[in-house]
Amino acid sequence: MLFKQREYLKYLLPALIVLALINIFPTFFLYIISLTNYDISQRVEDLSFVGLENYRYLFSIDKDFWKSIYITLTYTFVSVTVELVLGSAIALLFDANTRFRKLKLSLFIIPMIATPSIIALMWKLILNAEYGVLNTFLRWMGCAGRNWLSTDFALVSLILIDIWQWTPYVTLMIYSGLQTVPQEPLEAADVDGASWFQKLVWIVLPHISTIVSITLLLKLIENLKSFDIVYNLTQGGPGNATELLSLHVFRLGFKQTHWLGRASACAVILLLIIIPIVSNLAKKISYSRESA
Amino acid sequence: MKRKTSPIIPVVTWIIILAALAPVLWMLLISFKQRVDIISFSVLFKPTLENYKTVFQKYDFLRFILNSTIVVVATTAISVFLGTLAAYGLARFQFKKKESLAFGILSLRMLPPMAVVIPFFIMARYTHLLDTQLLLIIVYLGFNIPFTIWMMRGFIEDVSLSIEESAWLDGCTRLEGFCKVVFPSIFPGLAATSIFCFIQSWNEFALAFFLTSFNSRTVPTIVNSFISVLGVLWGEMAAVGVVSILPIVIFTMFVQKYLVKGLTMGAIKG
Repeated sequence: MLFKQREYLKYLLPALIVLALINIFPTFFLYIISLTNYDISQRVEDLSFVGLENYRYLFSIDKDFWKSIYITLTYTFVSVTVELVLGSAIALLFDANTRFRKLKLSLFIIPMIATPSIIALMWKLILNAEYGVLNTFLRWMGCAGRNWLSTDFALVSLILIDIWQWTPYVTLMIYSGLQTVPQEPLEAADVDGASWFQKLVWIVLPHISTIVSITLLLKLIENLKSFDIVYNLTQGGPGNATELLSLHVFRLGFKQTHWLGRASACAVILLLIIIPIVSNLAKKISYSRESA
Repeated sequence: MKRKTSPIIPVVTWIIILAALAPVLWMLLISFKQRVDIISFSVLFKPTLENYKTVFQKYDFLRFILNSTIVVVATTAISVFLGTLAAYGLARFQFKKKESLAFGILSLRMLPPMAVVIPFFIMARYTHLLDTQLLLIIVYLGFNIPFTIWMMRGFIEDVSLSIEESAWLDGCTRLEGFCKVVFPSIFPGLAATSIFCFIQSWNEFALAFFLTSFNSRTVPTIVNSFISVLGVLWGEMAAVGVVSILPIVIFTMFVQKYLVKGLTMGAIKG
């Protein structure tokens, strides 16, 4: 019998069947729809296959698609870089002073765990050009207020919010990495008269490099996927100033036009961008599991 | 990495924490303000519970909370059950291609919501599941099951196999052995994993927004109710925000020990 020989199947199959039905099948279905001219008002029976036409449209006609790729990459790289630097610095700060460390960490990560759609609206109020508290604060400090959600600044605001929301995540990860650094080499380095910076570069960083790269890859994926905050803050606007790829999917498929076929093609591109990062992540994680 | 601490460090740390919390604290403040006070910046104002009253009475916030709770509890329960079972299979058996299978499962956790929402939307329309709680329960299993499998796998691997084997020698079946030996040791991990599923599902917006319209709206999608022709009703909005974030903050305190593990799907012990 199958289960006698392969007993593990008894445990794995229920979950695998569910995942096949609700993750793998829909993803497969997405690829199929991306090859059709399916429209939201159509019946599935009426759709016809158009081959790679939707992809051709995205790549050669739809200028907004290229712009949204550009916006997505800018948003992702700028915010991840700043978060990594800032988050690590704050982690070192947390590490230097261990009093109330549990309380401090649990307070600090609240931005990351708070419901994003609601947080986005709160930021909309804070960033409001006329009566937002940020501009009032800036004027009080003697700086000029900005029109934060205008075409010029909306992407900057979005990046700032992402930094506010996710720097705690980097801090938490790096901080926990720092706790696993062995003490002996550090003490030996002290004996040899190494500076704080030398110890950081030669002992601490190599030790936490795996956790740093896993943090980085997970954050990259998170940014490429992001939808909630942008949707609730700007809906991709003004114009298409903050239209990330997932917002472009939304605009093609649900908002302006109802071309689910083209929207699916756009979603497939988003998937194709994420897949190499995920496989890289898999390598890092298996390395970290083996060395643990 | 310790070094001599100067008294400036704790001060700077607390300033950073305060800056990070400022927007949330601002929301808390606004939720107690009257409509006329909201656009003024004074911290001194006559606090009112009017906003909280309005969201529960006029906007039926309780129904959103109820929907969210039903969806979240059901999806968490199913995921934890199926996930732990599968995790046991991955942790305790050796077979060909096991690691590729595990990473295949993990990668499903990374699917962008905007990629799965279109097929789900079409399929749900044809099965008449749009705007039902059942649909959200099913859809959320998609990211919760991979998560629980990876989390629980780590927790089960931490239980030594030899204790379990000695239970088998005493005549226990695998199931009895699991219940008597493995389950008590993984229980804290199981609780933490459930809380993580709870938080993820509670905060989920994109899928809930596109796949429900009226009957099964969850808490994160309520934001649209407060955008009216008169502008956004900030006070009501803030009150909803406070009520929605409060349980999450409390739950997170419980799982603090497991946060790093939860954020990396168990890849890093933390």
